[in-house]
Amino acid sequence: MRRFSFFDSPVVRVSFPTWRARLVLLVLGLAFLVLLGRAVYLQSVNREFLQEQGGKRFERTLPLPATRGKVVDRQGVVLAASIPARAVWAIPEDTKSATAQQWAKLSELLDMPEAMIKARLADDSKTFVYLRRQLSLALVEQVAALRMPGVHSLPETRRFYPEGEVTGTVVGFTDLDDLGQEGIELTYNDRLSGKPGSRRVIKDRLGQVIEDVRAVNLPVNGQDIELSIDTRIQYLVYRTLAEAVQFNEAQSASGIVVDVQTGEVLALVNFPTFDPNDRSTLRGVNLRNRVLTDTFEPGSILKPFTMGLAMALDRIDDNTKIDTGRGEVVFHGERIRDVSKNGVLNPMGIMVKSSNIGMARISQRLEAQEMWTQFTALGFGQPPVIGFPGAAAGRLRPWERWRPIEQATMAYGYGLSTSLLQVAKAYTAFARDGDMVNLTLIKRKDLPATIPVYDASVAQTIRDMLEASAGPEGAKLAQVQGYRVAGKSGTARKIINREYSQKFYRSSFVGFGPVSNPRVVVAVSIDEPMAGHYYGGRVAAPVFATVMGRTLRMLGVEPDAPFDSEVVAQTQSESGSRP
Amino acid sequence: MGRTVFVMAILLMFAAISLVTARYQSRQLFIEREQLVSQFNELDVVWRNLQLDRAELSRNARIDQIARDTLKMQPIAPARTIYVREAPGLPAGGG
Repeated sequence: MRRFSFFDSPVVRVSFPTWRARLVLLVLGLAFLVLLGRAVYLQSVNREFLQEQGGKRFERTLPLPATRGKVVDRQGVVLAASIPARAVWAIPEDTKSATAQQWAKLSELLDMPEAMIKARLADDSKTFVYLRRQLSLALVEQVAALRMPGVHSLPETRRFYPEGEVTGTVVGFTDLDDLGQEGIELTYNDRLSGKPGSRRVIKDRLGQVIEDVRAVNLPVNGQDIELSIDTRIQYLVYRTLAEAVQFNEAQSASGIVVDVQTGEVLALVNFPTFDPNDRSTLRGVNLRNRVLTDTFEPGSILKPFTMGLAMALDRIDDNTKIDTGRGEVVFHGERIRDVSKNGVLNPMGIMVKSSNIGMARISQRLEAQEMWTQFTALGFGQPPVIGFPGAAAGRLRPWERWRPIEQATMAYGYGLSTSLLQVAKAYTAFARDGDMVNLTLIKRKDLPATIPVYDASVAQTIRDMLEASAGPEGAKLAQVQGYRVAGKSGTARKIINREYSQKFYRSSFVGFGPVSNPRVVVAVSIDEPMAGHYYGGRVAAPVFATVMGRTLRMLGVEPDAPFDSEVVAQTQSESGSRP
Repeated sequence: MGRTVFVMAILLMFAAISLVTARYQSRQLFIEREQLVSQFNELDVVWRNLQLDRAELSRNARIDQIARDTLKMQPIAPARTIYVREAPGLPAGGG
């Protein structure tokens, strides 16, 4: 038997027509062409649509919030800083399935009555209701642990003010959305806020970020603001003013401490004030920054400026004799009074006795225009450039419209209005040999701009007068142990119903020290002292003395006045008793 | 011809596998980076809180109150201060 291998077997040898093989090849080829066509269609024609759809499903844009800058004092003490917090919010409809236990625990955690929470969530048509904002992260973790349906949380930031009401006036505060509302927070909002960034990412099924789609747009954090304020001095002034308000049963008090050399404001205090951490204290009266926004008739503290002008124009000199009479004169139909009978005085005497009549007589030797020009040069009637919201210009009417009596009263500080800041700034002219320095609330890196307003010799003369005014003959309560100080007290009647009140006063004291080389100007003003005394020399001078003395000691200024040292005496007696 | 195809196929396989490994490694590194970033953020929050705690503890009002009431301290006054002038040179000795 002939053996065949399988393929050679005549039995399986069947011949197919060639077209059959070709058909199969053609069909397969067509199928591949269709696939290729589809691929080309998806890759090129339909590409954008598909990429967009893919992106919608997996790509997310995550906001990267910028952190608001810190506000720090001149020594780097933090006065305002932001920390992350969370807001708890809810979808009213979803919360329906929560258990009573969850409700009770939630109300306990949020520190809100349950009925109040439920009332907020009463409207089912709403899809987003804030329950409580600015909560700490730890607390919100506990809320999340409740696993209460419909209750969620959102990240936000909370601003803390460690020094609270001591620096509240200066720093101001932000609203819940971290926008500055008052003070430095408002003025420098742009610099503090920074720019939020974003990143485009791909998230997986579980919501975890697995890839950045394009380069991350990094957030730019807000800049820190370094203030000129020295928190130690700020606190000292705050405490002293608070005590003075209580002691004198006064309405309010304000004070400012200025560095004479740099024009930096070392302390700026109002009392009563607000605590930016406690929103319930943010009420109208407390919010007012009296140092900057309240203008008042300065009274006697303005006398040195008129005196300086008369000296500069050589209308008077050190020995000019001026008759102030018996303490009361009629001047252009109006009565001008002094506190005491002083007779004939020289300019030094007028300043020490604070004689209104003497000042009125000096003003007769001056032109209205000369006085107006000098006051304007000193910054009265003009908004101060300090970079703070609401700084008032005060009022100084054009000289053409001054009546003769007004010119006389203006010489001793009535008939125009200024803020305490303006007065403090003007006093730097006497503390600095006649050039007035521009004030700032931001720490200075370079030398300040100054405006010359008096000759150095005139400033020196006025400085001597002011030292005598704060001396044993004048407001002696302004004296400071160990330091020579100069200054002027002022007692201004307040205008109530368009008339000068006999009952409401504003007592003030402005001065500088140490006289041998002035370092700081201190201006304090006590509004409506009602405890019996109202003279500036009695009410405001002791406050000035406390603030001046401790400030100079804090700044490490060497005493320039003789004083009896207890310590040295003790040491000597100890060494003397040794064998 | 056949040998070239074979070498190319092996190279292709190698490239494909290394692509997969590279992708895997980049994912791993990305996750690690994300974790470090979130750790950085957490530490930043802790730091901020500590800074605030420090500010709270060194608050002037608090220190003033403790100094006055607890420690019974008094404000300094020139009378109770010895002012030491910087010596012009070395002390002459003896003392």
